Amino acid sequence: MRAALLLATSLLTAVPAAAQTTIGAIIPLSGASATQGEDQRRGIEIAVEEVNAAGGVLGKPLKVIVEDSGGRPPSALDAAKKLVAVDKVPAVIGEYSSGITLPMAQYLMQEGKIHINAGSSSNKVRQIGPTSFSVIGLEAVSSRFSAVDALAMGWKKVVVIGPNNAYGHGMSEGFKEEFEKIGGSVASTLLYTEGQTSYRRELQQAAQFKPDAFIYSAYGKDAALINRESFELSVNRTPWYAIYFTMCTADSKPEFVTGQYGMDLNFIGANGKGYEEAYRKKYGMGFKTSFSGYGYDAVKVFAAAANKAGSAEPEAVKAALMEVGKSYEGATGTIAFDADRQRMLQPYLKLRRGAEGMEQR
Amino acid sequence: MVQFLVDLLLRAGDIALVAVALSAGYSLVKFPNIAIVQYATIGPFLAYLIARSGIPFALAVAAACLFVGVLAVALNLLVFERLLKSGSAIAMIGSLAVGMLFTATLLVTAGPDTRHFDFAITALFDVFGSNVTLTQMISLAMSLTAFILLALLLFCTDIGRCMRATAANPNLARATGIDARLVVRVIIFLSGMLAALGGTGIAIKSELNILLGPDLMLPVFAAAILGGLGNPIGAIFGALVISFAETLAAAINFGPLVGQSFLFIPVNYIAAASFLILVVALLFRPYGLFVNEVKRV
Repeated sequence: MRAALLLATSLLTAVPAAAQTTIGAIIPLSGASATQGEDQRRGIEIAVEEVNAAGGVLGKPLKVIVEDSGGRPPSALDAAKKLVAVDKVPAVIGEYSSGITLPMAQYLMQEGKIHINAGSSSNKVRQIGPTSFSVIGLEAVSSRFSAVDALAMGWKKVVVIGPNNAYGHGMSEGFKEEFEKIGGSVASTLLYTEGQTSYRRELQQAAQFKPDAFIYSAYGKDAALINRESFELSVNRTPWYAIYFTMCTADSKPEFVTGQYGMDLNFIGANGKGYEEAYRKKYGMGFKTSFSGYGYDAVKVFAAAANKAGSAEPEAVKAALMEVGKSYEGATGTIAFDADRQRMLQPYLKLRRGAEGMEQR
Repeated sequence: MVQFLVDLLLRAGDIALVAVALSAGYSLVKFPNIAIVQYATIGPFLAYLIARSGIPFALAVAAACLFVGVLAVALNLLVFERLLKSGSAIAMIGSLAVGMLFTATLLVTAGPDTRHFDFAITALFDVFGSNVTLTQMISLAMSLTAFILLALLLFCTDIGRCMRATAANPNLARATGIDARLVVRVIIFLSGMLAALGGTGIAIKSELNILLGPDLMLPVFAAAILGGLGNPIGAIFGALVISFAETLAAAINFGPLVGQSFLFIPVNYIAAASFLILVVALLFRPYGLFVNEVKRV
């Protein structure tokens, strides 16, 4: 429905293609990750305003056509086909879940378009193809960080909980490998089916292992239910540690997540204060999740590269992106691409959910 | 052990109302109505919508159940009775199609998002060392009240006697002056209401999304067939058996059998428990544990 509306508004406002530079974004505006998707969209919106205030791209206004993936791979693929065939965009930002980003971006590779990943962290993103870039750090780095952090908390035996998809598999395997390397043990890995109306059974099974802590990572709305039911079953008396904390707690009631530990992307770099203020001014609140800054940076990096290349054509932008991405100061910190066009440095935060909100540990 | 019983009862409460609705409907309109699991989705969605406009929750649920009851009667008149003339298999396929229409309509109007009845967080009740929430108690109480009322209606009132008579032998019932059409409408209305109430019971203690109904299909059919299709009280028993099997399958630690400390059946495969029972029931007791289909010549 929302996608149809967006489509309708973009048709109504359509102006001759030459009058503006158009790129696409495919993000989850509905479904389990809708909260994160909306935050990505806000970042994109602010970036577009700033780019246009500074003269646009190639002397023309920049326009980002935002499509809703609904959190489903088929919808994301349809949206990608539409962006490529109808809107003829040179670049697409997206998606959020790795399981959707992978097929969507592989299609973009076939079409020779630029893909900018602003939300997925699976290590498989590295192998998507020659015109795929990530402005967000991948799992190889985050698994080690969370494993070391969890062991330092004094937890030796843990149960890992995650969604049964590309992200959950990568996350749980990565964590287990790193955690066992430094002397911890993963008693069990529990991968749940997304979108269920109850996770009581999963939680009851997990509790039987009597771990020192639960390590979990779940998309917003699934996580809200898991957190509520873990409270209802008193499973939350054991410490909970969230990987990508704001993703896990964005939709949860504070009562259910207070006292949890976790890690998250450092979503505001040295250069990000201006962006944080712009966000607060426009939406009247602090960041809802840690993902808005990555949507913002994706647009800004593209605009910088296209302006440098003097063209929006994929090949030219690709070369310019490698050049710009030697060291780009984004809102989320320094973005530098490695040889595989993935973000090399990704700072993380150690957090705890206190009664008042997130606290740094 | 107490936790096991709590889980068993909660799960039985999930399945039983919809299974009873299916069975009650079948007792008079002789085809298994697959759309009934969709009534269980529409009920809570309507209740959610009505409650959001500020109407008290109990009233919203009552209004939603009434609406779904009327919808069930209308669909029965307009669609299922006509299809039934061509045979019960045709009517069943028709009800599957109607169910798909409902899913598609909900997908377009309500979207794929999960919703949650936003009750205030209340303290947990400690029932012999196992936690029970207020919404779980309300949900169980709703089911129990519905069963008692249904049993009273069936066994202590005139219309109940007419229903049972019509179910046992429609021609004979008609010959004795029972208005079979009215009886059918009443029971279809009731089955719509029961299904909507059952879905609402599930939604208030967990979450609400468009898959709530379709996810119930397998356990509900297994419970209704086990209890003997057309025997509403049997369906309650069927629901208990299915819940027992599911809860047991989820809770047992198979680890010691294979020399590990822990081994559980992954929750995604637990649905197989009800499927297994359904297959066994169809093979050995196709008319249910309590044979109810009186075959008169």
